[in-house]
Order: sequence, then C-alpha cells, then structure tokens
Amino acid sequence: MNYENEKIINCSMFEESLTGYLDNALDKPLKVAMAEHALQCPICHGLLNEVKSALELCHEISAPKHSMTHLEARILAMTAPETAMACQEFENYLTDYLDGFLPAAVFHRWERHAALCEQCTDLPGEVVRSIAACYTYKNEEMPLPEGLHAKILQATIGTERAGEVQASRISQIIERMRGWRFPIPMPQLAPVAMILMFAFLIFSQGVSADGSISQMYQKSFEFAGQTYQQGADIVLGMEKIEQVPQQKPIDGIYINNEGRK
Amino acid sequence: MEALKAVAATSSGAELVRRCRAGDGTAWEEIVSQFSRRIFNLAFRFTSSVEAAEDLTQEVFIRIYRTLEQYDAKQGDLSNWLMRLARNLIIDDYRHRQRNPQNSHADDVEDHTFHLRAVGGSAQKEMERRELAKQVQEGIDKLPTDLRTCVILRDIEEMTYQEIVELLKIPEGTVKSRINRGRIELAKILRRMRVVNI
Repeated sequence: MNYENEKIINCSMFEESLTGYLDNALDKPLKVAMAEHALQCPICHGLLNEVKSALELCHEISAPKHSMTHLEARILAMTAPETAMACQEFENYLTDYLDGFLPAAVFHRWERHAALCEQCTDLPGEVVRSIAACYTYKNEEMPLPEGLHAKILQATIGTERAGEVQASRISQIIERMRGWRFPIPMPQLAPVAMILMFAFLIFSQGVSADGSISQMYQKSFEFAGQTYQQGADIVLGMEKIEQVPQQKPIDGIYINNEGRK
Repeated sequence: MEALKAVAATSSGAELVRRCRAGDGTAWEEIVSQFSRRIFNLAFRFTSSVEAAEDLTQEVFIRIYRTLEQYDAKQGDLSNWLMRLARNLIIDDYRHRQRNPQNSHADDVEDHTFHLRAVGGSAQKEMERRELAKQVQEGIDKLPTDLRTCVILRDIEEMTYQEIVELLKIPEGTVKSRINRGRIELAKILRRMRVVNI
C-alpha cells in the first residue's frame, strides 16, 4: 500500500495501525498520516489517548512496588527469623550506623529491619534531619545582649573603660621574666640520691684507719714481713717453715723478731 | 599551614594573657570581645533564657579572669582552655539547676525574641530560619538532662566523643548511648512538632 499520496486516512485504517503507531513501528508517511488524522478526528484522538493511558497503567502494574532490598528482607525474615533485629536493638545501633561503625553482619540486619519495620523505617531519616536542624540552629547565633560587654568589664576590672586600666612598667617586666626558663633543667633528685647513697656505702666500708682503701698499706707491710721471715728461716737452716705470728707494724716500720730464736 | 596557624593562635593567646596578668585592661577587653558571643550562645542553649544566659556568661568571665594565672600556653591555645572552662561552668550550673528546680531559669522559649543575623535571603527564609531555631531549642528543652547535655555537646558544639568523656567524666560507652538515645528522642519530638517531616 502506498500512503504517500493519501492526505487523509479513515478511522478504520487508524485503528488498524494504532499499535504500530504507538510502538513507533510505522514508516514515515503513514506515521505522518496517522498524526494528521488524530488531530483532525476527535474520536480517533480520544481513542489514541485512551490506549496510551491504558498502556501506562499496564507498565505501572507490571513494575515492582518494593525495591529488591525490601523483598530480600522479607524473604530473609521468613526463612531465617533468627537474624531479625528487635526495634530496641535497631535504635541502639542507630548512631553507629550513621557514623559508619557497624560491622557487616549487624549492618545488613539493621538495614533489613529498617526496610521491613513500619515503625522504624522513617526513624533514620528523621534523626538525620534533626541533626541537620541542630547544625542550622548552631549557625544561627544570637547577638550579644546590649550592655553585657560593659557589665563583664565592670565586674572584672572595675570599669567599663578598659583603656584606662594600664599595666605598670614593673608588672610588665615581672610578667616578661615569668616566661624565662633556666637553660639547665632541674636535676632529677632520685638518681642523685642513689649516687650519694652508694658513694657513702663504698667510702664508709672501704677507707681504713691508715687512710687507704681497705687498709692496703698495712696489708702490704704484713705480706713483706712474712716473705722476709720465710727467707730468713731458709737461710738459717730451719727445716720447717713456721708461721710466726707477725708483729704489727708501727707507723709503717716493720720490727724484726730475730731475737726470739 | 594549619600547624603554623595553631602556633600563631597559641602565641597570640599567650601574649594576650601575659598582658592581662600585667594589668592591661585593653587585653582583657579583647578576650571578652573575642569569646563573649560564643559563651553567651552556649549558655543560652543550656538555660533557654536570655537573662539567665547573660548572668551565666558574666559569671563565667569573672571566673576566667580570676583563673588567668593558671593558663599555661604549653597546654594548648587560649581558645581551647577558655571554652573548656566555660563548658565546665555552664554544665555545672545546668546540673545544679536540674537538681534544684526552684532555681531554674527555664521560662518559656516563646517569650524570647530571636535576633538572628540576616545572611542574605528573603524575609520569608529569615522567618523560617527563626522559626526552625526556636523549635529546635524547644525540642532540646524537652530532652531529659543527661541526654540534653550530650546532644548539645555533640551536635551543636561539635565536640568529639573523647572530649565529651573528659568533660563529663563518664565512660565512653555511656556518652555514646546518651547521644544515640538523645538524637532519637529529639527526632521523635521534632516529628511530633512537625519540624522534621518525611
């Protein structure tokens, strides 16, 4: 069929090609003719609109009412009821959820409860909006009441004219010096006390009457005396080396006891 | 850059305090001008009364003036020290008033006139902002004492959990749970007042 030369198509032809027209499946000349007919014929215009509305309704009905999250939540609630969350628990986790601190397992349970529970579903949004309202409120600061400034100055420095209260030279210098610090830090008292205690113990135990540590001079005199005695006994032919009690040195001078033999 | 700014703030705060201690009135006036509005607004959030907030702000400044000797610049900048002191005093006062309701300043928020600053926008928006601020304050006033304190500190003063723990001297778990409960209660109150609608 060639419609190119036809200026007007009849109502029967319009009805016949209506589906193709709505599906945008007609060739251009027929499409133009359909549009022209729809404009000219009120009955066909009405029919076109009715069919259009019916199709839209059909699309709406066929679209899912709930999101997959909601469906998933319903399925899980029916198949695994032990993973459901109580409203109180849901509320307890609300701030952690908003702060992003919920662990994965709790997070999914929480979201499922939010999707399913009619009482709780709007709560997160309301809390977020109320926090936002608090921030708005914070930014809307009130101005200082008139005279408060002066009252504070009067109550603290005794006058409303702060410029009249001047710092004296001496107080300025004192305040500057207050910030100064000695370059050497204060010694730690505990280690110093320990050092002093050990020093006391060593010297009190080690220094003897002859002024040396552990009577070093006296001992050395005694050993020298013993060596001399043993040598003398050998020289005089004594078989047995006796251990002769030593005489104490007096003032560092050893007294030989040869006269004893 | 931030670190440099912090150092500059600390040194300028320390210098102001040094001049105050020496007896310089203009330095004290500068401190009052810098912080009075912030402290007054904080006091108002807890008292819901202009007169009470005014008295409280004055008391806070008297206390600050007397304790300026204790300020140590090494412990942080002046703003932090001063606001910490102010929060402590305001919260102490709030708790005291809650224990002794006869001393409460809690007169009706309706009586207060909000002089919100105009930030551009139309008169209609200005009125809406004013109305919202009034309703939020009313909602906050309806919260129980402990929840109210935590909500103000977290959502208006924007303090961290740790700062609130240190200020109120309560465990972190308690702070978190009070903030959570307070937010939920506030949301429900504002919903009933039709401030937050879906």
